[in-house]
Amino acid sequence: MTITLNVNGARREAAHGERNLLSFLRFDLGLTGTKYGCGEGLCGACTVLVDGQALRSCMTTVGAVAGGEVTTIEGLSPGTSVEDLHPVQRAFVEEQAMQCGYCIPGFIMGAVGLLNRRPDASAGEIREALAEHMCRCGTYQRIAAAVERAASGEGAS
Amino acid sequence: MTGSERVSASPSTSPLRIVGDVTVGFPASRTGYGQATYGNTQPQTERATWIAVWPDGSVTAYAGKVEYGQNIRTGLAIEVADELRVGLDDVEVVLGDTDRVPWDMGTFGSQSTARVGWQLRKAAATAREAILALASDRLDLPASDLEASAGQVRPKADPSRGISYADLLAGQSIEREISERPAVFGPSEFTLMGRAQRQRVDALDRVTGRAVYSQDVLPAGVLYASILRPPAYGARPTRIDLSAAERMPGVARVVDEGDLIAVLGESDEAAALGARAAVIDWQLREGQPSRFDMPALLVESGVDGYAVQEAGDLDEGFRAASSVIESTYYIPYIAPAPMEPRAAVAVWEGDRLTVWAGTQRPFGIRQELAAAFGIEESRVRVIAPEIGGGFGAKSPYGLAIEAARLAKVAGRPVRVAFTRGEETMWSNFRPAAIVRIKSGFDAHGRITAWQSDAYHSGERVMIGRRGADTPYDVPHVRSLVYRSDSPLPSGSYRSLGAAVNHFARETHMDEIAEAAGLDPVELRLRNLSHPRFRRVLETAASDFGWSGPRLGEGRGAGIALGIDVGSYVATAVEVSVAGRDVRVHRVQASLDCGLVVNPEGALNQMEGSIVMGLGGTLFEASDFEDGRLLNAGFARYRVPRIVDTPRIDVRFVGDDTDPSTGAGEPGLVPLSAAVTGAVWGATGVRHRELPVTRHL
Ligand code: FES
Ligand code: FES
Repeated sequence: MTITLNVNGARREAAHGERNLLSFLRFDLGLTGTKYGCGEGLCGACTVLVDGQALRSCMTTVGAVAGGEVTTIEGLSPGTSVEDLHPVQRAFVEEQAMQCGYCIPGFIMGAVGLLNRRPDASAGEIREALAEHMCRCGTYQRIAAAVERAASGEGAS
Repeated sequence: MTGSERVSASPSTSPLRIVGDVTVGFPASRTGYGQATYGNTQPQTERATWIAVWPDGSVTAYAGKVEYGQNIRTGLAIEVADELRVGLDDVEVVLGDTDRVPWDMGTFGSQSTARVGWQLRKAAATAREAILALASDRLDLPASDLEASAGQVRPKADPSRGISYADLLAGQSIEREISERPAVFGPSEFTLMGRAQRQRVDALDRVTGRAVYSQDVLPAGVLYASILRPPAYGARPTRIDLSAAERMPGVARVVDEGDLIAVLGESDEAAALGARAAVIDWQLREGQPSRFDMPALLVESGVDGYAVQEAGDLDEGFRAASSVIESTYYIPYIAPAPMEPRAAVAVWEGDRLTVWAGTQRPFGIRQELAAAFGIEESRVRVIAPEIGGGFGAKSPYGLAIEAARLAKVAGRPVRVAFTRGEETMWSNFRPAAIVRIKSGFDAHGRITAWQSDAYHSGERVMIGRRGADTPYDVPHVRSLVYRSDSPLPSGSYRSLGAAVNHFARETHMDEIAEAAGLDPVELRLRNLSHPRFRRVLETAASDFGWSGPRLGEGRGAGIALGIDVGSYVATAVEVSVAGRDVRVHRVQASLDCGLVVNPEGALNQMEGSIVMGLGGTLFEASDFEDGRLLNAGFARYRVPRIVDTPRIDVRFVGDDTDPSTGAGEPGLVPLSAAVTGAVWGATGVRHRELPVTRHL
């Protein structure tokens, strides 16, 4: 039975409710900004927002989020220039918080989820919230600095 | 021209092209190394276009390297923009597409800035000279009276009479060979090189999810493959029944070619469910060594002892010593575990094959594909898109051939993608190694004899040799490196064997310091005359505020030095140990990699390599038994997290006049010994086996 859900503000259809959310986003909708890193809920690469809360899309189904609003990295901002990025994205650009970049969309979505809950999260809260995200390139110091910058509103427009 | 127009245009249509030799990516002296290490290819063409300047004055630079996190796109753009005197935004860098870029042996060994960056600088300087020559004709002034800046040529005497590159190039079609001695700028003339840049040139794509990795390539009509791989190394199928798989909904076809068993689905889900319905009996290979057999196996199977360093007479050196100590160091296999598992997509159009593969060796993979299908290399195009980390693991890329074989059978594009478990199991691991060191020294801590025997697993001898020589002033020395059996596939890993060899040597230096009753920094300086080594050590020690290893209250400090890919490095760390918990609080590194083209990029690489080094030092070891990998996923393989990350400070101490050397790997090499030295300072326990947290 087909099922409809909201993704980045648009109504989208999935073939059935058991469809893995990550696969649905990447392969059915072509929203490949959300990454596959482990498929086991352990790395955070697949993080999206559901009603503003960070969620590991690899661990859930389309049916489980059908009533909610799903936001992927593509839906976070128009992203045509540094100026129209979401403040968290902009902070990652400014801190050069990226190497290969594969983990970065997941970190950004995780950080946005945190700041939605705790707009002025402390350095410790940021580290704790991102403790289950992996960056094998080891960009952590910069990622922490970027999220702290976004949390403090520094450089925000 | 917009970025996308520029990227897709052929350089032959541009008004100014700079062509040159392609082997610069790996000069002749290193080609043998590349072949020994990777079985790599010779170039099919000797010359290629390195730079094209377009009618609007914008520039495209072409390089056979790939981008897997080292930020070479920004680094190369900076070099080209500075030499050509155009804005950074006016330069596009095309990488890793065998149809479009100069041949290259592969992206490894931190050669990108050193070799290709230099070639592009010369090419850009040649282009600037060509543009100045056009302006000289136009303005009827000698080129020496003109200068280029911001995409314009101006008479030095009258800067208001500037002509834009676009004007000068209108209607031209010039092809120039890279000059033998082009007038490249010196450090005092740099406007971009060595300066902090506001952002990476590819930052926007990376934070918006637009950057395309091999996992993200999904051409129309693509079939998703689930390959039925053996559950253990050496396992063989004895019965294969794909009939139920074939009947599953959404399964387009099943493939059984003996060494390649696959289910092809219209979706990833259909392929995965189909594969689950396949019935295969596997026969396991008996009697394979386990992780516990490694230390003995390494020594017993070691062959071809190769002297990386030999001088003086060891007997005489040990006779001259007042003390002799001997220790053995053991380092297990570790997994590269890049965040992006490998993926490949193959498309056939007639007998022309295109494969997207996030490999560090697009040209090597092209050659392998051509050989596999018996076609000319010119019929094969390999495109390495963005790569989600490599660290050496993505030089071999068997998925490219699997995808091409399946696409040929299916007559449709096919995508093969590793799961996390497959990525780990079917990767090469950093070799396991045993290093035995015997040293003799006098009452002043001066080393008189140094005998080192290193046994590294694997066929690729160069891996174990890297960093196996001592930089200290030792009159009588012999360092041998042996090649030992490898139950797991072992291969390149960031810094290859250098991190392992440095761990053994630098830990041993600490042991000499302890035995001689000297401070570790003092002991090293007494045995070190090379000024670049002394400088990195002294700056790391003073920036850190070095006061000795024992800080009290469960805290300790450690320091070590090293060299890798031509760069000199020293690192000091502070740790605390409480029970089985080791925390690294801060890391102070000092790096001399000559001219730093992109300081922020080099810093990012140093920070990353230090974090990666912490993993192998503290947590990581790949466990195996009976041909099975016991910790293939992240559930049981602990990699460094944000909460493990110390404060990291790095100072660059090299001279602008020294050529650029690598910054991506050196950070790793002194780190393990610095940490174990600090753990000794905190606990009094000397760790000669990694990872530390398994031995507390
Ligand atoms: S892919 Fe979902 S947590 Fe790793
Ligand atoms: S930037 Fe490469 S994994 Fe994080």
